[in-house]
Amino acid sequence: MQILEMVRKTEFLGREFLLWLWYKSEVEEGIFDLGEKGKAELWLEGKIMLQSETEKGVEIITCEGETSDMKEARFALAEGKEIRQAAVKLAIGDNRWSFVLDAGWMNLRSFKSPRVMNDSNGDPDGFFYERAYLIEEALAAMDQIYAAFMDRRLSPEWETKDRGIIGQWMRQGRDRP
Amino acid sequence: MGLIQGAASVTRYMTETPLPHDFMAGLPEAIGRFAFRNLDESSIDERSAGWVNILDMFDNRFAGMEFLKEPYVALSLRIDERKIPPTALKQYSREAEESVKAEENLTFLSKSHRADIKEAVRLRLLKRAIPVARIYDMIWNLNTGMVIFGSTSARVCDEFLERFLHTFTIELQAVCPYTLGERHLDKAGAPRHLLDGLVPSRFLEGL
Repeated sequence: MQILEMVRKTEFLGREFLLWLWYKSEVEEGIFDLGEKGKAELWLEGKIMLQSETEKGVEIITCEGETSDMKEARFALAEGKEIRQAAVKLAIGDNRWSFVLDAGWMNLRSFKSPRVMNDSNGDPDGFFYERAYLIEEALAAMDQIYAAFMDRRLSPEWETKDRGIIGQWMRQGRDRP
Repeated sequence: MGLIQGAASVTRYMTETPLPHDFMAGLPEAIGRFAFRNLDESSIDERSAGWVNILDMFDNRFAGMEFLKEPYVALSLRIDERKIPPTALKQYSREAEESVKAEENLTFLSKSHRADIKEAVRLRLLKRAIPVARIYDMIWNLNTGMVIFGSTSARVCDEFLERFLHTFTIELQAVCPYTLGERHLDKAGAPRHLLDGLVPSRFLEGL
């Protein structure tokens, strides 16, 4: 399969991953086990972009806000719109990252790592290694969380249990005050 | 500002083939061949692109093999472009057209004549335009094969892929939900074809 065809055919996995992250962060506190690395906390905060495709064309809505309930976005989700991008916060120990995760290519836009002091008189390579470590740490954590999603997605429980539970949570977005 | 110095967007790739045995020995020459070259002030080149030191955008010589930070190969793709503001081009072209009409005692200029004047003005202004430099960092972990590139722009990513291939003669595969899933199944020792049977979940159906 060519890469563009592969991306197009399996883009739903990225969208379902974002939905699963949203559900896990809102209902199950968003704590993920990273094995030796400890635990990661992940939550959606800020911008979220949803999209639906109908015979009339593509409809996109973007919701921005600091509140955790994201009422408008939840309503759009209940109406059948799918997540394309979401602003994500990730915490491991004392370190915090923020980025916008894209469902199509799993790109990370506006990626911000914890601050590293750049001491120009010191060892510039030390600065590089610290930054590279922090970038790789966040990406490795996201890969592990994605692997946990894939395990669940490929298990029989996805169809018999998770799909219905997430669906009910989505539906609740329509009835919220 | 690049990925290493501050906030940036991230696209990831994987190397598709193992490194050739003489890979390290050939690195300085390969990178040097595709290193950044400054735009000559007297030239009319609009664009120049190439590798620079990830910690110093003005270093394109890599005298101390600064690209090698084991286990990484770390570089920045620097792209300098000279651009003429469209409004300025339009205004100066109009001024030049009026001069030509006055000098040659014409009341009307043909379309092709106006196009020639516009091109001459564009070349003249290009020499006065200051190039704008943009930097995109690349971190390639030789142990894992993962390449992290500091942009999500399709145009810039395409240019990066092409330059990477020319420099290292290694093809990159973009990371996407499917390839990430494949990697996970490979690590878990599970067959890849499990992914092929997946279809989108209908979350709101049957509720």
